[in-house]
Amino acid sequence: MAQVIAAVLAAVLLLIAGIFLGRLVFPVAPSTPSTTSAEAGFARDMQVHHQQAIEMSTIIREKSDNEEIRTLAYDIATSQGQQAGQMFGWLTMWNLAQASAEPSMTWMMQPTLDGTPSDMGSASMSAMTMLGMATFEQMQTLKASTDGADAMFLELMIAHHAGGVEMAQALLERSTNEVVTSLANKMVLTQKSEITYMNELLSAI
Amino acid sequence: MKPRDSESPVPPAARKDLTVKQRRAESRAVKVAALKKKQAAEKRNRLIGIVTGIVAAVGVLALIIAVVVTNGTPKVSPDAIEINGLQNYPDTIAGHVEGAVEYAQSPPAGGEHAAAWLNCGIYTEPVPNENAVHALEHGAVWVTYNPDQVTGDDLKALQDSVPSTYSVLSPMPDLQSPVTISAWANQVELDGVDDPRLQDFVDKFWQAGDSPEPGASCSGGVDAPGRIA
Repeated sequence: MAQVIAAVLAAVLLLIAGIFLGRLVFPVAPSTPSTTSAEAGFARDMQVHHQQAIEMSTIIREKSDNEEIRTLAYDIATSQGQQAGQMFGWLTMWNLAQASAEPSMTWMMQPTLDGTPSDMGSASMSAMTMLGMATFEQMQTLKASTDGADAMFLELMIAHHAGGVEMAQALLERSTNEVVTSLANKMVLTQKSEITYMNELLSAI
Repeated sequence: MKPRDSESPVPPAARKDLTVKQRRAESRAVKVAALKKKQAAEKRNRLIGIVTGIVAAVGVLALIIAVVVTNGTPKVSPDAIEINGLQNYPDTIAGHVEGAVEYAQSPPAGGEHAAAWLNCGIYTEPVPNENAVHALEHGAVWVTYNPDQVTGDDLKALQDSVPSTYSVLSPMPDLQSPVTISAWANQVELDGVDDPRLQDFVDKFWQAGDSPEPGASCSGGVDAPGRIA
């Protein structure tokens, strides 16, 4: 009998030791977004979107002598550059490639958290133009413009911001990841505020 | 030729002369010897078992302690920091406007502001609220001090204790407290330049918290007069 007790005790001790040894050697990490998740899609596509805003801002900052527009351009370039860095870092921490295996904006086709299907329409629609990005031709025109540069910049950037707000809202409808939704919320608030300001600047030109 | 029972105590030649009694005594002695051997073995095994058991138990205990210690070190998240006397203004709005703004508190902790942000740094003259608030929007903290109460070595100590970036330090005449530290939508009145709540506030709110645009630039904007750093 004593031997049975001893054997059972030994087995229990072994089990406990095994559990704690396992926890020490293989700590459990919380799960992170997958490469096809809304969070990953947003992180990749919004970086591209931000990079065009930085490019537009840099063009007008060098070209314009309107101090308010130049200051706004600097603000947009630096803040969106830093935000792009945040999103780059998320993908690194999530062990995902910066590049997506799917076409851009595919994540926006996913249904929302409450089950509503995406209202993005068919995939053949030019997703980029819809989301406020300037075309190659528009960017070339901006670079070459002189007198009309200020107005063109403001019009392009207002459309750009509107698209950015849409993308951020699409993320907010599809994610509960607090780090990602926090930044997306701030983007919505800040860019809406800047749209109002840019409309004022435009009417003053 | 070797005799068959060479272990017998009785010399082989005399064997056939053993009486029954002697033979029984002999076999009993053999059994006793065997039993003693068995008992010694059992005692030894029990000892081994006890020692092994103790070593194993100690090992398990050590493992448990190791896991508890490595997991148990508390990681202080900014959310968990509590600051006595902290004031939070949840309805703070943002937006770029022209001209002077009447703010809800003094020093202001957010609200509408000028399009140009105040460059972060150390100022020896009061700075325009509307530009400083824009710096708050970009995640900076704004440390204001009463210039009648904070002078000389105290002022130097305060200048050394504020963060080197994303921070505005400026005098504010008639300030109600010796020092007040503000971030977007949050502020606390401090007792003096040594108040430990200054660092707690920085830990909790510097480039974080409720600021709308943490990470936006705090240079490349405008300087105010009296900037020394």
